[in-house]
Amino acid sequence: MPAARRAALSWLEREQVFKWLPFVPVQALLVFLLLPFVLLVYLSLVSWRITRGVWWHAPFVGAANFAGAVQDERFVWAVIRTFGFAAAAVPLELGLGFGLALLCRERFRGRRFYTTLFLLPMMIVPAVVGYDLSMLLIDQGPLNQILSLLAGRPVTVRWISDYRMAKAAIVGADVWQWTSLVFLIVLSGFAGLPPDPIRAARTMGANRWQIFRHVELPLLKPVLAIALVLRSMEALKIFDYPVLLTEGGPGNSTETIAVYLWRVGWDFTRVSDAAAMSLVLMVVVVIYTVIAIHILRRERRQLAEDTAR
Amino acid sequence: MKRHGLFAFVRHAVLLAWTAVTLIPVYWMLNTSFKHSGEWVTWPPHWFPEHPTLENYAQVLTPGSTIFELGRQTLKVLKPLWDSLFTATVSALVAVALGSALAYSWARFGTGGKNYPYSVLTIRMLPPIVIAVPFLVYYASLHLLDTYTGLILVYIATSLPYVIWMMLAFIEDVPRELESAARVMGASRFRVLSSVVLPLTVSGLVATFLFVFILNWSELLLALTLTSTQVSTIPITLNKFQSVNEGRDYGPQAAIGAIATLPVVALGFLIQKHLVKGFSFGLLRK
Amino acid sequence: MAGIRLAGLTKAFGASRAVDGVSLDIPDGEFAVLVGPSGCGKTTTLNMIAGLEAPTAGDVYIGGERVTDREPRDRQLGMVFQSLALFPHMNVFDNIAFPLRIRKTPPAEVRARVEAVAETVRVAPLLGKRPATLSGGEAQRVALARTIVMRPRAFLMDEPLSSLDARLRVEMRTELKRLHAALRATFLYVTHDHAEAMTMADRIAVMHHGLIQQPGPPLAIYADPVNHFVAGFFGVPPMNFVDGALDADAGRVAFRAAGVTVVVDRPAAAVSARGAVLGVRPEHVRLRDGTGAWPATVSLLEPLGDETIVFLDYGGPTSIVAKVDPDEKIAVGDRRRFMFDQDKLRFFDGTTGERILR
Repeated sequence: MPAARRAALSWLEREQVFKWLPFVPVQALLVFLLLPFVLLVYLSLVSWRITRGVWWHAPFVGAANFAGAVQDERFVWAVIRTFGFAAAAVPLELGLGFGLALLCRERFRGRRFYTTLFLLPMMIVPAVVGYDLSMLLIDQGPLNQILSLLAGRPVTVRWISDYRMAKAAIVGADVWQWTSLVFLIVLSGFAGLPPDPIRAARTMGANRWQIFRHVELPLLKPVLAIALVLRSMEALKIFDYPVLLTEGGPGNSTETIAVYLWRVGWDFTRVSDAAAMSLVLMVVVVIYTVIAIHILRRERRQLAEDTAR
Repeated sequence: MKRHGLFAFVRHAVLLAWTAVTLIPVYWMLNTSFKHSGEWVTWPPHWFPEHPTLENYAQVLTPGSTIFELGRQTLKVLKPLWDSLFTATVSALVAVALGSALAYSWARFGTGGKNYPYSVLTIRMLPPIVIAVPFLVYYASLHLLDTYTGLILVYIATSLPYVIWMMLAFIEDVPRELESAARVMGASRFRVLSSVVLPLTVSGLVATFLFVFILNWSELLLALTLTSTQVSTIPITLNKFQSVNEGRDYGPQAAIGAIATLPVVALGFLIQKHLVKGFSFGLLRK
Repeated sequence: MAGIRLAGLTKAFGASRAVDGVSLDIPDGEFAVLVGPSGCGKTTTLNMIAGLEAPTAGDVYIGGERVTDREPRDRQLGMVFQSLALFPHMNVFDNIAFPLRIRKTPPAEVRARVEAVAETVRVAPLLGKRPATLSGGEAQRVALARTIVMRPRAFLMDEPLSSLDARLRVEMRTELKRLHAALRATFLYVTHDHAEAMTMADRIAVMHHGLIQQPGPPLAIYADPVNHFVAGFFGVPPMNFVDGALDADAGRVAFRAAGVTVVVDRPAAAVSARGAVLGVRPEHVRLRDGTGAWPATVSLLEPLGDETIVFLDYGGPTSIVAKVDPDEKIAVGDRRRFMFDQDKLRFFDGTTGERILR
């Protein structure tokens, strides 16, 4: 190997240099992609619509957009609605996913079949799910037919055209798709439970329920924490289902933050307003993120301590 | 014994019920994709096509771009398939390469500080809509709008958090002493990576790649924002169908749905086992 | 082959020092053992010699050359790890061949050398197997083969036997000594097991709190410990320690403790009155009558077959442990008298633990 190349390689190998190698392209990429944030702040402080000429000539309006955003009823409702969806969907997913995993934790005939199959929904393109359910949920559609059969009398729930049921439809879509993720995470949590504490508890005379409540459940806390953080993170962003299932309707009843901001920016071309709202949203997300990360770190630290031996 | 029998019965009942819930929508989509237009919306619904047909598939799979036919727009799926495949694959490959290297660097040297994985996770927590707005303007100025490069760059950034967290779990499983031994035996750090770390984390790399691929393949919002005519992914096509035909072209749309979904589902099944570990976020005990 | 020399080697983590100015000279071909309790800094020292960790201060010399700044792969050392670190994804042959292949050795030569080494350590029939299928002893020998094939200048071993069961450990100890004799190489062996140190070493360096307490041949360390720690570290059962004080008795130094008074043959002027600790090994405690013998009750017996361990309750805070012949007629509860071999008594300062009255 020529001397120059060898010298270069051995310089690269020094720990000081080596450990920074992958960071260079990544940080460059991230910086490149962070510049738009400056733009975001700028846009929120000026008054600009796409139709009104170039953005760098837009007039400065200061905090007017923010005031407008916070007073925009539709925006506020979109935020509340989105949190509402998450508050409804995430616990359902956690509960269902946990329950299903609980049922599947022991070996029994057909277990493999169920565990493989239950992972199906989360791998489907969400847009497809949205569209697919829109077919199923039409007034004279398959779901209503099934419900009629189960109820013994004709049932015609207007899933998409009624403003209350449409919300249920959105929550339903999210739960349908993502329960499987919670199922996966909790199932792996069960698989990772250390057998010794459980055996010890049995020799001490604890029954199934006591073992579950006092030994297994606490050990599963980190797993549930991951599922909670992951799902709520994603649930607040939902866009695909409202767009494809209900188009934000009827009216605005299923308009989530993402959908509304989309409309403001694109359909209405009120870019500055969208920018201001985005920043308000970011503040909310930051608060939320700090909490979530705190939970994650605490669980990780706890685990490191518990298993330090 | 009787009690045990009852429990087993209840268990199977519940699981079968959920199986039905899971399968019915998928079945319905496949079902519809083989029906001709007369059968799409009937009452009572046809659970099995009376006259099964492949015309929907033929319609969307033939090459060509959007055509107007009998006053209806028919969107084609070959180009979107390619666009999705290309962007998802390239972004996943690059994200996995960079992210794994980053994860390794952090795991072994602590580069970036002990909070680095958490701060990287915040990228993922941002609703994409927040970045969609400025990105439109930003990319427009840089002439990156409606290009493969532009979309891929964004996808790489949004995939990195997941790659780092998933690969961390796999890398932490490789005992440090293996690497030390290799170094004392004469291996350079690069050689250690290729001869020791890589072979032992291959399954993790594959699983992470496929997971990120699926993520990017399914992504709608950013694709919608940053592309228009030159680049058009599958989720966008589905969306267009919805809005263009007032959502009533069920057959071809179902065909597109099936084409878009099935390969990905198959991939997902392959990586199932490894997904468990990848999703541990370092919290699952060994 | 080369000797290893450490000069003032230090490793600090923030304010604490894992290794605190260690200096050691190991001549070429010697079997040196670095021994000490967990956390004393021995593994860190070894890592610095290998180049896996960079020292905060000090230097490492191999064969007279200063290697402190060199990468591990440029130091030509063979290292065996506690976990053995066999590559699980390669079979035994590939594991052993690894260092050769890295240096782009031609395949024919690789095959020849690997097979030769495999013969030497008796793993030839295992060449096609994977590490997971090997037994503890077999894995051990493969790890050794992997280092031997490199023809390194010196061998470093970090507690390689700690994962083996007792019988296997004893077997491997002999094997290692035999290997050392055959290769005539410099071995630096790290362990927390004092018995291993005693049986294997040409020279022992006892480490505690990041410092070398006492370097020297095993028997010298055993018979002539330099402080309380070293004295108590070697020997099974460990040395008896009695807390007491020194003062004068008819012009001679006397050690007084509860139930035991010993007159030492040193002039009283040589020491000042102070707290001290008397140390005496169980094999030097004699159960017999005689002038100056003290009374005690037998509280516990441990018959080992080749000797019997006797715990004597003499009125002090702890028992005195003695080793007696297995044929000695003795039972728990017996009242006996005991005394010490005068010339085998060791005294340590009550505060610093340093040896006094040599």
